[in-house]
Amino acid sequence: MAPPVPNVPLSVQLEVMPGSTLPSLLSGRRLRNQRLARALRLWVPAGVLIFILALCFLWPLVYKLPSPTVGNILYNNEPPFSPGHILGTNVQGVDEFSDVIYGGQTSFVIAASVTVIGIVIGCTLGVVAGYLGGWVDAIISRILDILIAFPALVLALVIAVGLGPSEIHLIWALSFFGIPALGRVTRGITLTLRSQPYMTAARLAGTPRWRIIVRHILPNIMPTIVTFSLLGVGIIIILEGALDFLGYGIQQPQPSWGGMIALGQQIMTAQPEYIIIPSIALLITVVALNMLGDALRERWGVV
Amino acid sequence: MSAQEQDKPLLSVRDMVQEFTVRYSGGTGLGRMPSTPGVKAGVVQAVSGVSFDIMPGETLGIVGETGSGKSTLARSVLQAPGPKSGSVIFRGAELTHLRGRKLLEARRHMQFVWQDPFSSLDPKWRVRSIIEEPLVAYHDGDRAARHKRVDELLELVGLAPERYAKRHPRELSGGQAQRVAIARAVALNPSLLICDEAVSSLDVLIQAQVLNLFERLRHELGLSYLFIAHDLALVKQVSDRVAVMYLGRFCETGPGESVYRKPLHPYTRALLDSIPSTEPGAARAAATLKGEPPSPINPPSGCRFRTRCPRATEVCAEQVPPPRELAPRHLVACHHPLSEPAPAATVSNEVTAPGTPVTPTQSARVISS
Amino acid sequence: MSDALLEVEDLRVAFAVGGRELRAVDGISYAVDPGRTLAIIGESGSGKTVGCRAIMGLLPVGTAIGGSARLRGTEMIGLSDAELRKHRGQDMAMIFQDPARSLNPTMRVGVQVTEAIQTHRKVSKKEAYAQAVELLRLVRIPAPERRFHEYPHQLSGGMRQRIMIAMALACRPKLLIADEATTALDVTTQAQIMELMLELQQELGMALILISHDLGLAASYADDVVVMYAGKIVEQAPAKRLFGTGGTVKMRYTRALLDAIPHLERPAHTALPVVSGRPPDPANLPPGCSFAPRCPSAADDCRVTRPALVEHAAGHRWACWHPCENGVSAS
Repeated sequence: MAPPVPNVPLSVQLEVMPGSTLPSLLSGRRLRNQRLARALRLWVPAGVLIFILALCFLWPLVYKLPSPTVGNILYNNEPPFSPGHILGTNVQGVDEFSDVIYGGQTSFVIAASVTVIGIVIGCTLGVVAGYLGGWVDAIISRILDILIAFPALVLALVIAVGLGPSEIHLIWALSFFGIPALGRVTRGITLTLRSQPYMTAARLAGTPRWRIIVRHILPNIMPTIVTFSLLGVGIIIILEGALDFLGYGIQQPQPSWGGMIALGQQIMTAQPEYIIIPSIALLITVVALNMLGDALRERWGVV
Repeated sequence: MSAQEQDKPLLSVRDMVQEFTVRYSGGTGLGRMPSTPGVKAGVVQAVSGVSFDIMPGETLGIVGETGSGKSTLARSVLQAPGPKSGSVIFRGAELTHLRGRKLLEARRHMQFVWQDPFSSLDPKWRVRSIIEEPLVAYHDGDRAARHKRVDELLELVGLAPERYAKRHPRELSGGQAQRVAIARAVALNPSLLICDEAVSSLDVLIQAQVLNLFERLRHELGLSYLFIAHDLALVKQVSDRVAVMYLGRFCETGPGESVYRKPLHPYTRALLDSIPSTEPGAARAAATLKGEPPSPINPPSGCRFRTRCPRATEVCAEQVPPPRELAPRHLVACHHPLSEPAPAATVSNEVTAPGTPVTPTQSARVISS
Repeated sequence: MSDALLEVEDLRVAFAVGGRELRAVDGISYAVDPGRTLAIIGESGSGKTVGCRAIMGLLPVGTAIGGSARLRGTEMIGLSDAELRKHRGQDMAMIFQDPARSLNPTMRVGVQVTEAIQTHRKVSKKEAYAQAVELLRLVRIPAPERRFHEYPHQLSGGMRQRIMIAMALACRPKLLIADEATTALDVTTQAQIMELMLELQQELGMALILISHDLGLAASYADDVVVMYAGKIVEQAPAKRLFGTGGTVKMRYTRALLDAIPHLERPAHTALPVVSGRPPDPANLPPGCSFAPRCPSAADDCRVTRPALVEHAAGHRWACWHPCENGVSAS
């Protein structure tokens, strides 16, 4: 039977400034540590992500990397730190570092596309369903339910087998997961917002419905959407990786992290670095995304 | 307003009835807890035939406890949503028959102030936009004119525009935020302001500031108020006339002084006796009301107060007491008002009432009043 | 003074929030005698709740607490959770504002009461049941055997608060702290609950601390009153000395509070005497008297030196350089 945590309200600061006469109970060091920890939780993952993105997208523009698709079979299976190949080469002679970089590009592009589609279609459906309610809500909710019932992996498999695997098909298949996920979250939050008095106040002020949606609802759902999208990007990258690994996503020789793991699997015991390298890339990216999502959630007070 | 219009009520409500269905919100399904979510548990008649008028420039205070239906009444007058039956005539227009743009036009001169200022202001908007919103929606003047008007309104409620116009609600204190809500409410020069517990969440000293602001606006803008609260002294302070509400019906309506000096309904008497006063030892002597408030889903027949009333007799269970004018402009709905001697044949009111007197709480998702 | 039940001396509580230090309680001292009722009055942010939670040990980890609070001679501040648990329930108990949130919605109320009993006493289940029913009867719940098996949502607010009282009294504590216990209740229910608490106080010889913002409650039900502002005590006196005709309120803040509440006796539409501004930010307390920025009678010395809480008259302490004259409204 835990009693509620005391709520010490913060009044707005008065103009009269100087400090209190009693000595401080809390050491300055403790306060500084608290502040530092909070800032680190946000900026460390943000920094890591910015670094990874810069590495994947900007580095190849600056420094010419060996091709990730065509390798020199004479130089295959070079270990890491070989001259000219900082991470070595794989069984086909393709430079590993290059593979990681371009594979990363692919993953991010796909994840971003899926997220954008999810936001554009899913959030719109969610807001409309949440705000209008009634039969509109009923229909949209059923559509979202149907979409979410499809296991993304199986669906992608089916599409790949039926229509032939390609990046576009992969994006659409993963959208089957992205759209309803964002749609349902958006709908939930819109429902909460709709019962707030400021929505009634806006109506009372005479604001037309479309304007209420655009200027009242959208700004207030933004924090939730952004944090969920960040967390979602991590999930999509993993799903995409899994599909590549199974061979139904990005096809070889086009680089992808999942594909690299698949290739490395064959010589896993002898030369594990071919699995370890792409796995670490995946791990760091997804963990950074999650940590950033959580830090933003903490800062913005998203539930 | 012309002299003729002064005689006609600004707001006229007749026989308003408002209901909402109460559903089970589900549970663990253990024991006797109802477990079917969404299924109708019953219909609550939050407002059961309420009639009143508000004249121009007058303040009507509605006082009642939880479950009385006063907040539902306020929202129904506003048509958010409209009442199940009854009429609401505001400035000559019957609001219950209007929809859409016509309703917005007719309702333009009626505004609302909510209890919690922080949920009645969009947290993402700045103060200026918040106050400007009604002006924008009704196309009141161009950008420069609106800017000027917002500054005027901020000054009117005692907030310096250069310091407050750019802030977000989270940068305001409770009292300041409520002032912004009030500024927005008077932006369109309304005739009627409905205040639903508008100062109840404020600290005592801030509450006094905001009450004084209401007074000032009343004076300067000629506003009428429908002031709803559970604090009797507060309601008396701001109102010309007071209505006491119990379980969806008015028990007593009349001029403030009259109702408080000489209450004629036993419930009003009980309420007044329960207020702790700042005279040490004074209020303690009075008998407190026995029993629990009955369930709004299944209210008692006849007079709803009869289960807790020391003066109830058989007729109280059979007939709904009609409002009678027992003093100038002072209406009482009671078979045995306090102006008459106590009836001889009172019905014993120990907890013999069948079933559990229960108020619907969290299990049933009810918008509490 | 040594036979006082609770002696609080120079209690201080500070929180670290967002990298700033909030002084919630800035050095308060008071005492409660057995069988007496003390009302701690203050607005939000005054520190009234935090102070009592510090005594009960209910503040989150990481809060800095200084000073002392001795319950029957035993120091409460600084005890470990295990040691505090021995005292909670046996010697002191607390009830809170919102009984809906303090009761477990999935447990029957009777079981919650027996749980409170069995935490402190080794009794059989049957014995605990019997004691629980007795407790329900003690708090005047009709048909206690039936109510035992009900869930919180089936009870009204007043009933739930009675259950909370029953749980708090399970082991006959010597001190009961009621933290805004009736604020969320209707005024008629509030009167019932207050009456109940006073009767119980007499029957059990308990001391009662009422935490509230309602001066009327303090006047009607308390023996002694302590008024807090910005984490400090600004006035302390027996209720009879402060309220009613012949009451002498000295500190300007208390006077402002009394003047600002609507009184039934005043005619409608009178302007209330108003104090502008807001309570100070606990992270940024001004020097001198904390009320000085808002006080209509503030002078220069008020802004520079903090007035100490001194017993200027018998049993009546106040902290003000320029107190009110005869307790009549100054403005």
